[in-house]
Amino acid sequence: MTDDTTPSRDTVAVPERIDFPRLLDFYNLQSEEETRIHEFYDRLREDSLSTTRCDECDALHFPPRIVCPECTGDDLSYTSLPHEGTLFAFSVVRGSAPIGMTDDVPFVMGIVDLEGVDVRLSARIDGAAYDDLSIGDRVTLKIVDIDGPRDEDRVFYRFEPVRSVSE
Amino acid sequence: MTQTAAIVGGGHTRWGDRQATWKDLAQEAGKAAFDDVPGVTPDDVEGLFVGAVQPERFAFQSHVAPLVAELLGVDVDSMIARTELACASGQAALRYAWLAIAAGQLDVALVIGVEKMNLPDDRTEEMQSSMTNVVDREFDGVNGLNAPSYFSLIAQRHMHEYGTTREQLAAVSEKNKTHAANNSYAQFQKAVDVDDVLESYPIAPPLNLLDCSGITDGAAALLLVSERKARELTDTAAYVTGSGQSCMASNSINNLPSLSAWPQATVAAEKAYEQAGIENPVDELDVAEIHDCFSISEIIEYEDLGWVEKGEGGRFIEEGRSALDGDIAVNPRGGLLGCGHPLGATGISQALEIYRQFTGDVPDARRVPDSPETGLIHNLSGSASVHSVMTLARDPQ
Repeated sequence: MTDDTTPSRDTVAVPERIDFPRLLDFYNLQSEEETRIHEFYDRLREDSLSTTRCDECDALHFPPRIVCPECTGDDLSYTSLPHEGTLFAFSVVRGSAPIGMTDDVPFVMGIVDLEGVDVRLSARIDGAAYDDLSIGDRVTLKIVDIDGPRDEDRVFYRFEPVRSVSE
Repeated sequence: MTQTAAIVGGGHTRWGDRQATWKDLAQEAGKAAFDDVPGVTPDDVEGLFVGAVQPERFAFQSHVAPLVAELLGVDVDSMIARTELACASGQAALRYAWLAIAAGQLDVALVIGVEKMNLPDDRTEEMQSSMTNVVDREFDGVNGLNAPSYFSLIAQRHMHEYGTTREQLAAVSEKNKTHAANNSYAQFQKAVDVDDVLESYPIAPPLNLLDCSGITDGAAALLLVSERKARELTDTAAYVTGSGQSCMASNSINNLPSLSAWPQATVAAEKAYEQAGIENPVDELDVAEIHDCFSISEIIEYEDLGWVEKGEGGRFIEEGRSALDGDIAVNPRGGLLGCGHPLGATGISQALEIYRQFTGDVPDARRVPDSPETGLIHNLSGSASVHSVMTLARDPQ
């Protein structure tokens, strides 16, 4: 059996632009309303890099936590971290940048050994090209304010080479 | 273990930048698997295990296991699950199925991995974001630690600490991509040599474009059945003899045990070797499919899977010990470097390759000589924070 009547036809609209979910710019939401490690970001906003230490077993964590992975205690205190360190490894991001970073390429990223403490973190390295850097180079903390679509004042850390006095 | 399980066949889609949806790929691979094993129909399948990493991001679809059940007409009456373990999701699905069969819960499982990764060209950064969120996005992804940049740090450290050379890295790509040139489903079916690798675009130094696997759409499926069922169906199967995994309470940069060493791979391998009764892997393994997401990865795996002293991985490739006719034929399929890496499908494809090498059903140009009888698959995932190893044998132990 066939049906040769023409079906009815209509147009439905979808939005011209669909906004991405709010977390896709990779800088996490940092306020007390959003995260229980907001103190890390609060201190960073005041120019201090910090992390949590366990009041019960004295373990130093990075990234900061709300529960100690060594003893499962939750009495943790924030403690300042050194602002200087050395480059443990580095490379450059060229083609494969995610949302929010494509305008920055090429950019240098790497791993920094913080001085005098057992913390090794990944970070963007500003103020230097890949060819200018070597493993072991001294780097120092830099704070960046995030200029984004949200009202919240977000902030993050990067590092940059320590310039010798002779330069 | 009450009983083991065996791979009795399977199939692939073509891998690459496919004009096909996630659902299309699942159907293609499922059909290929059932076509390959005439003795098993969808009605026989009791358990369904689907490896898929990011259908929510790449295809905006979740709860994919029942989607596959419907598409392939599989009436599950025992166990259905989707596994997500980043790049090891396929092996994770296979491991779940093996454990379910070993526990006596079911006799016939369909294990399928599906990933649709390529988005339209103007969505490249969206696709890249779905790779960057595999690491701790808040403290590592945010710094641009995507796959190539992260593994470039690993390569730099391995070269720095052990003197591994750029040429040794390139030799891995040459070997695997040359194998892929004879693999009809591979994404990159073009042989390259060391010079081609060294002259390719420096995507994240010291890694060049040809040191990297691809962004790949693809699926693979296999049928895993109980030992009893396998004996009914076929004379040649790939029996699971051992399986191990390790994650050392670490995922982000500060907490990983090392960049240039993967002790998790050693733990996972030793567990699998012990179960399989393997005392000397180099002597006892004939063929291996290991996770060459980047050329450096394969070199570190030679070391940390216990095949050569730490730091000697570069010499293992240089001396031809991982060639088709070497001590262990490594990545005859073409590896991730040659086949591409549709995340959830890779581990299943690797296991299927071991099965095919056992049956001899592979082109001469990439067939492991002397009728291989033992094999291994390995996957790392994310920041290499997890390693998964499975051993297989042609004959039941």
